[in-house]
Amino acid sequence: MIYIIDHKDSFTHNVVHQFENFDDVTCDNFNEIDENKLNKSNVIVFSPGPGAPKDYPISSSIYKKFKSKKKIIGICLGFQQILHCEKGKIIEQKKIYHGYQSKIKVTSDNSLFKKNRKFNVGRYHSLKLKEPFTAKNFEITMRCAISNVAMAIENNKEKIYGFQFHPESFLTENGNLFIKKILSA
Amino acid sequence: MIKKNYLEDLNNAKKPFIIYKSNKGFDLYTDFSKKIILTNNNVEKFINESTKLKSKNKETDLFIGFFGYEILNNLIGVKVKKQKGLKFPKGIFYKPESKLKLPNKLNYKNLRIVKSSKLFKININKASYKVIFDKFKKKIKSGETYQIKICTKYSNKAHIDALDFFSRLVKSNMAPEAFMIKDKDYSIISCSPENLIIKEKDLITTKPIAGTLKKTKKLNKIKALAFFRKNIKENKEHNMIVDMERSDLSKICKAGSVKILKKKIVEEYKDLYHYVSLIGGRLKNNISSLDIIKAMMPGGSVIGCPKISTLNLLNNQEKENRNVYTGSFGYIKSNGNMRFNIIIRSILNYKNKSEISVASGVVIDSNAQHEFNENYIKAKALMDLYK
Repeated sequence: MIYIIDHKDSFTHNVVHQFENFDDVTCDNFNEIDENKLNKSNVIVFSPGPGAPKDYPISSSIYKKFKSKKKIIGICLGFQQILHCEKGKIIEQKKIYHGYQSKIKVTSDNSLFKKNRKFNVGRYHSLKLKEPFTAKNFEITMRCAISNVAMAIENNKEKIYGFQFHPESFLTENGNLFIKKILSA
Repeated sequence: MIKKNYLEDLNNAKKPFIIYKSNKGFDLYTDFSKKIILTNNNVEKFINESTKLKSKNKETDLFIGFFGYEILNNLIGVKVKKQKGLKFPKGIFYKPESKLKLPNKLNYKNLRIVKSSKLFKININKASYKVIFDKFKKKIKSGETYQIKICTKYSNKAHIDALDFFSRLVKSNMAPEAFMIKDKDYSIISCSPENLIIKEKDLITTKPIAGTLKKTKKLNKIKALAFFRKNIKENKEHNMIVDMERSDLSKICKAGSVKILKKKIVEEYKDLYHYVSLIGGRLKNNISSLDIIKAMMPGGSVIGCPKISTLNLLNNQEKENRNVYTGSFGYIKSNGNMRFNIIIRSILNYKNKSEISVASGVVIDSNAQHEFNENYIKAKALMDLYK
């Protein structure tokens, strides 16, 4: 079972429907967590949402508790939430991407996706990861083809994955592919 | 066939009635046997019981009316602080016993003169608008909202003949969701172009508008589409709304059933082009009318995105009650089918005071001066009716 933590976003139920292609899904608000279901799940997903990771301490403590015990996936704010817990700095960016389709590129040999492959994806983010960023077992595996901003992280050892873009957006081509690959990893 | 002077007689009889745009003309509802004034306490009960009518007449087995903005916030647990305003009811629904079909050309001529102060007062002047605008832009930079609609309100004192206003309005600005309500102490007149919910059996659709272009002689539908496609700002706003409406529908629809049925097309109206999408899905089993209303209202395209956090920002900012503006008008049939619009481009006249609210969107690349003027243009079409 996949447990999706909703940060009260207006895209979360697209994420729910996308994951439902692959497994049973439960989705609760970040401040109404069902501990029982959370414990029973195999995968935890942190949804997109407004604001910054520091606004969601409950989500941070869930991440820390289940890291390396369950597969963890973060999307947009959820991606930043993971980075924030790994001591990454999340900062405002000059050019803001809301409702924007852009090209991203796989930049790592260690990715589940083929190096140099390009994707058209939908983006909705005000904030970004400040670099350089390093954390044990984590690697930035995709970047914006133009600005080089970090677009995906993978930790294949502890099974932690995050996307800054929105695989569930209608602006993302082959969005299901991203989810399918990391769920079967 | 209806009598030639039917509308005039109805209006003169001072009986409450409602007119709502249909496919070919208008539907007129009257002879109300029930009138329910909604409060935060009775709204859920009303929605749950609206489909429990005992069927007598298929055509009139429905409740028709409106939900105001505040009650829709309340339904989804978003607080609205105490605000100034007309103290107008939060929502009213009627059970009609008669329904009549009217043609597109409403045969009504008013002989009385509109009594009104010609000057409309605006609640937020250009300077204060700029302050709010800049504040919200900061909220976009920090990620609290991605798009937010600032509402401004024009008001005056007026005694109006609502039917006269409505027949003139639809002559110049026919819109697929146009409606009017006339009751003893208030009237609402609207040329809303935007449908929020059409629900028939297990099929539900929503048709958001994001993007408006004024017609000129040089433009045609194909050129309008090219304009929208090329305009990055309009496209981004529209994309955001499409993903938001997909998500709202996904709350109540079967997984995999939510589809964009018409993606970013142009619709032509008398004076303008709209950039619209049509999104639909199949409802999950056991979804109630209340579930549907809570998932879809208030309609996202007139609020901004993400909905909850943006509503909170708006509600902390706005000192005056929106009343019906950005609420929804429509009906719930006893068989559970529904049709609801988003109340925009509307006049509320209550106790001889008129108000016209308008809003336009702030995204990261909007310009305050432009959006302020845009608001004025939207209001002007309605204020011109008072001349």
